[in-house]
Amino acid sequence: MIVCVAVVGHQNNPLYIQSFTEADDALKLHHIVHCSLDVVDERVNNPRKSGPTLNETFLGLLYPTENYKVYGYLTNTKVKFIMVTTDLDVRDADVRNFFRRFHAAYVDAVSNPFHVPGKKITSKTFAESVSTIVKSFGFSSAI
Amino acid sequence: MDPENTPLGRMLLEEITPVIMVLNTPLVEEACLKNGLSFIQMLSPFCSFNNIDVPVRTASDQPYRIKKFSSRLFYGSDIRQPNFEASKERLKQVITQASEKDLSKLCSDPPQINEAVDCFESAILPSWFQLFNKELIRNVSFSEHEAFDHPVACLLVVSSSDDHPVNKFVDLFNTIKLASLLNDDAMDPKIMKHYLLLHDNQDGSSEKASKILTEMRSAFGANDCQLLSINSSHDELIEREDDPWGLFKPDVLIGKQLGCFLSNEDLIEIRELMQDFSSKHIIPYMEQKIRALNQQVSATRKGFRNQIKNLWWRKGKEDTVDSPSGPTYTYNSIESQIRVLGDYAFMLRDYELALSNYRLISTDYKLDKAWKRYAGVQEMMGLTYFLLDQSRKEAEYCMENALNTYLKMGPSGHLNATRCGLWSAEMLKAREQYREAAAVYFRICNEEPLHSAVMLEQASYCYLLSKPPLIRKYGFHLVLSGDRYKRMDQIYHAIRTYRNAVAVFKGTEWSHIKDHVHFHIGQWYASLGLYDVAVTQMLEILDCNHQSKATQELFLKDFLKIIQKAGKTVKVLKLPLPKISISSLKVIFDDHRTYASPTAANVRESVWRSLEEDMIPSLSSGRTNWLELQSKIMSKKYKESNICVAGEPVKVNIVFKNPLQIPISISCVSLICDLSSKSDGTKSDTNNITAGFQNNTELKWSSDWEMGSNNASFTSTEVHLSLEGNEEKIVQLTVTPKIEGILQVVGIRWKLSDSIMGFHNFINNLGQKNIAKGRQKVKYSLADNLKFIVIKSLPKLEGSILSLPKVAYAGDLQRLVLELTNQSKFSVKNLKMKISQSRFLKIGKQENMNADFPACLEKPINGEQGVRPIPNTTSNDTFLFPVDTSIQGGTPLLLPLWLRAAVPGNISLYISIYYEMEGVSDIMRYRILRMHYNIQVLPSLDLSFQVNPCPSRLHEFLVRMDVMNKTSSEVFQIHQLSSIGQNWELSLLQPVDNIFPSRALMPNQALSCFFVLKNVNKLFSSEKKVSSVPVLLGSDLKLGSQSSDEQLFDTANFPLAAFHYSERAYQGTSNQDLNTVDFILITRPLKNTTDPGVSESSRLFSHHVCHCSTSSNSPISWLLEGPRSSYHNFSSSFSEINFKMTIFNSSDSIASIRIKTIDSAEGNESAPPSPSSANQTGWHYASLTQDIKVTSDVLGAQMAKSSSLESVSPFIWSGTSSTTLQIEPNSMAEAPLQICIFSPGIYDLSNYILQWKLLPSSRSGNDETNVSSGTCQGYPYYLTVLQSN
Repeated sequence: MIVCVAVVGHQNNPLYIQSFTEADDALKLHHIVHCSLDVVDERVNNPRKSGPTLNETFLGLLYPTENYKVYGYLTNTKVKFIMVTTDLDVRDADVRNFFRRFHAAYVDAVSNPFHVPGKKITSKTFAESVSTIVKSFGFSSAI
Repeated sequence: MDPENTPLGRMLLEEITPVIMVLNTPLVEEACLKNGLSFIQMLSPFCSFNNIDVPVRTASDQPYRIKKFSSRLFYGSDIRQPNFEASKERLKQVITQASEKDLSKLCSDPPQINEAVDCFESAILPSWFQLFNKELIRNVSFSEHEAFDHPVACLLVVSSSDDHPVNKFVDLFNTIKLASLLNDDAMDPKIMKHYLLLHDNQDGSSEKASKILTEMRSAFGANDCQLLSINSSHDELIEREDDPWGLFKPDVLIGKQLGCFLSNEDLIEIRELMQDFSSKHIIPYMEQKIRALNQQVSATRKGFRNQIKNLWWRKGKEDTVDSPSGPTYTYNSIESQIRVLGDYAFMLRDYELALSNYRLISTDYKLDKAWKRYAGVQEMMGLTYFLLDQSRKEAEYCMENALNTYLKMGPSGHLNATRCGLWSAEMLKAREQYREAAAVYFRICNEEPLHSAVMLEQASYCYLLSKPPLIRKYGFHLVLSGDRYKRMDQIYHAIRTYRNAVAVFKGTEWSHIKDHVHFHIGQWYASLGLYDVAVTQMLEILDCNHQSKATQELFLKDFLKIIQKAGKTVKVLKLPLPKISISSLKVIFDDHRTYASPTAANVRESVWRSLEEDMIPSLSSGRTNWLELQSKIMSKKYKESNICVAGEPVKVNIVFKNPLQIPISISCVSLICDLSSKSDGTKSDTNNITAGFQNNTELKWSSDWEMGSNNASFTSTEVHLSLEGNEEKIVQLTVTPKIEGILQVVGIRWKLSDSIMGFHNFINNLGQKNIAKGRQKVKYSLADNLKFIVIKSLPKLEGSILSLPKVAYAGDLQRLVLELTNQSKFSVKNLKMKISQSRFLKIGKQENMNADFPACLEKPINGEQGVRPIPNTTSNDTFLFPVDTSIQGGTPLLLPLWLRAAVPGNISLYISIYYEMEGVSDIMRYRILRMHYNIQVLPSLDLSFQVNPCPSRLHEFLVRMDVMNKTSSEVFQIHQLSSIGQNWELSLLQPVDNIFPSRALMPNQALSCFFVLKNVNKLFSSEKKVSSVPVLLGSDLKLGSQSSDEQLFDTANFPLAAFHYSERAYQGTSNQDLNTVDFILITRPLKNTTDPGVSESSRLFSHHVCHCSTSSNSPISWLLEGPRSSYHNFSSSFSEINFKMTIFNSSDSIASIRIKTIDSAEGNESAPPSPSSANQTGWHYASLTQDIKVTSDVLGAQMAKSSSLESVSPFIWSGTSSTTLQIEPNSMAEAPLQICIFSPGIYDLSNYILQWKLLPSSRSGNDETNVSSGTCQGYPYYLTVLQSN
């Protein structure tokens, strides 16, 4: 189950962060997302030498903690998507697919002419589509 | 890097050293305690040697030299596994002690994160970490599975004052005081013994001691016995260059120098004793043991054969022993011996030998599933690898393996795991693998919060030190660690960690995390009583609109609680609650422009400027008047700053916004002002004043500004308000200067929840933005904009319009009252007034003030229709008050003001009144009162007129009036229709009752009715000059109930006429076209019988429609006159009938008119005939079929016959077929016409055309739009000719 997704701007400022847990652990998830930015930075600054990963947006597993796995994704505009999941065996393809859809939703949201770039995303439509994507995570890898 | 010089290397050299077990008698201890030291304490500074330089030969034949050597001394009773509870207590003590040192540092601002990154490790790490780690490691000392803590030697000490010292030595070793290790077979009880006789010189001479020594020597052997004399100094003050006990408990026996009775000779003696003991006894003993063990091990375990055998033997053993801690090994088991060998070799720094033995034994332990021992050996292997500085990977692997094995063991292995982890982390740190070290620290956190707090904190520093620094993880681990400290009530440490974390999160937008950190650190500061710092921290979280409502409440509540505890009014420079929008700052003040209402002040200056343009004296000329009087400096000063008048308030509007969802209460909002009296201001340059203000602002915060309200030179208002969640309120603050000088509005202050004083300095924001104040076009800085020169008090006119409706229906005519007052005793004169929408407002005469409305508008019954000019309006709508008008002393001047809602829409009315003060001030000669009102006008009646010339009469017109009630509820009663203009006369076509049976116009009802309009002006006579003064004489038609006594309203009198005049001006071109007519429809609301309370009768609606053109598209009109019927005997001859055509030229140029008669009816085939066909001249054949058909059915057959016969037309025009006339402007001419008729019948004499052409005259050469020529088809004219007998 995905417990948290976040969009982080290129100055590492949170643009959107949403947890999907019942418990009151928003603070913890904020911390986890915040910490994983360190790893994103590191990955970006020291890219693996191998060729095909150069232009790869998917950053892979960032930060395995005891209970969570954190995956990252970096767009061309240096906007980071972070996903925290409690599933311990996640298929890479699922995660990639998730991020692709998440990215599409994000692009839709920021294409709104009333959205101020670099400001928090307040669009309800975005929130809805994100929660749809999150709910469908793991069930439909084909889409 | 030399591994031995790393922190871990030093630690290992200190910690993994031979242990000397000390057994002593109480008297020994007593003698030592005279110095404030225990025996061990006395000796231990001399146990480590940096340059001992002893040759060592272990397993190999090649000896090597040891430079550094140290040993540890323990009492026999202490050689056992430490008590867990006691050690926990000790750890806690270490932490608590560490906390109390840096209280002052806690309050300082946290370091910048960038600085922290650049710091060295030593600068960041608190020094007590090492102490703590050492304590943790000591927790697991003297374990039976590790041999390096097992005593190598035993030092038996007996005092010379003891009875039978030699017996005592024997007793010491045999008592049950011996360490448990020795007792339970974990180690070899046969250890080296060394006998020491301690002699206290204070007790007597050393003779007795030396006697005992000889005794001892004979009993225990000469080499193993020694004498130590102490306390030989009687002088308590011995100056030593370095205090060897400086490291030891400074808290014990304060006031007494440690080792005060030990003379320098004693110290030398002790040192020599220990050196001798170490080099001559311990090291050789260990060498010997290593060699012996090595031989044994080689014999049993080395070599291929032994290995096979061992493997075989192990396998067999596997099945038998299966206890959780693995099998037990006694000291003489081969495994234990290998371990001892390894440890001894390690301690003597023969790491190769140690490693080979550890390797050998580790597989054995693994096979035996003796996990603890296995892990211990792995741990030692890792350390050995590290110290050998060989394979790093191996070292890491071994440590990792050890750590995992310990952790797998469950709770029993935790302490060992901790030690292993600490070593492992140190090892990684020494190799600058900080991230891995952090991970290790993180792993060795256990349930014990204090322990894990320290571990997490160490982990966090590792993240900070790693390259590149992982700042966020640093922050996270600090927070985690701080939480655990807090749980264990280590507030100081909690604050320290959070303080560092604050630095990490500063400037980021991770508000949830930031709030959490600030909130908690604030609370902790408060719990320590550091309220100031607590408040600063709490301020950070007040603006938390991203948090839930409950959290916001919690934050605010806690904040207020802290404020309350602080017990004083806290003053905060940038209080985030409520939010002040600096961009909303708006200053309203009156200089020569005064405002009747706030809305008037909000109107753009340009609107007023354009309105007042020609009313006020031009600025430059106004200036020069007083410039001549004033010095240059003054003029410049006044020109550049805002001027306000003493006694008149300066208003500042500012928006307060509550960012929270919970209501907050704000009180005592007031402006912070500074008023320097005029004498100061004139002396110094204005620029200096401004600069001074900026420099002094910070200093002034606490002192002057709070006193500001008590200042006698000005008064300022205090506003109290409460803001609901997310509410925005505009707060208007006023300051009223009382004396002349310079007033500077510096800032704003308020009280939140009656406890916190917040300040906001406007000038601090200087340069950030240039506030366009709306009224001030010149770009000043904010500070300049907030600076006012106060001049002495002036008369000020106040005005208002009484009872102005907010909403009115279009056409509504009302009388209002304009009230002007002046409170000052000085009079104002020369009043002028200008109204932006003169179409809506007219000023009446003062004498009409008390007349009845609307009766005063009624036409006098017998009054003469005198020509009354429209009152005193000049061409640009400026109303000049009578010259003798002067207002003063509070008595109001009342003026009637007529309002007519001219057009629907939202209408802004701007009224500007100019007045002059007499001799009061040189700076200001005149002032302007500006009033602004908004009125909403709703549509009421839709009125249109259509005027057509009446074909049968010259100068008569048919008027169709279409009226529709567009309101949804109002019922109008049509009262009167008037035509305006002295040459028009309006009359009814039908009785009124036929037109308006109900006399009322219901909502949405439409109505059309017809009237006759007659031009009564004798234009062809000489009196045709139109007076330039518009004289609104006209004819009125009463459309209301004829029987009632309602009077007609006088449309020629003041208000209606004036409004009509405006309407004319607005509705069309203002040229005085005589062929247009204006109508005024006056309606009144239907008397509301159901609601008699409303005096509807007093209301009046007037609708004006102007410039209804009476002329069609041609300027000429004509009338054909002649007999309508005649009798003639056609048997005798044809009939000739004469007609007269009267043609009127209504244009103002000469018209040339050609009358063409057409006998052929060619044009009739397409009716109406097109002008092209009508242009044909001459005789043409034409049938009149159509005419006849239309005109007479009776004669249809005959006519059909005639047409079939192709007969000629039944009549022909006689005389010239074309007549040309020239008609002067606005005059008439006549032309005779004749027809010949050949048979009786009804004839339509419309087959003629009039071609007209306007000859351009010198007078009107500009009318290009007017038609200059055209053709008119003749009117139908029916002539009946009958056969006479």
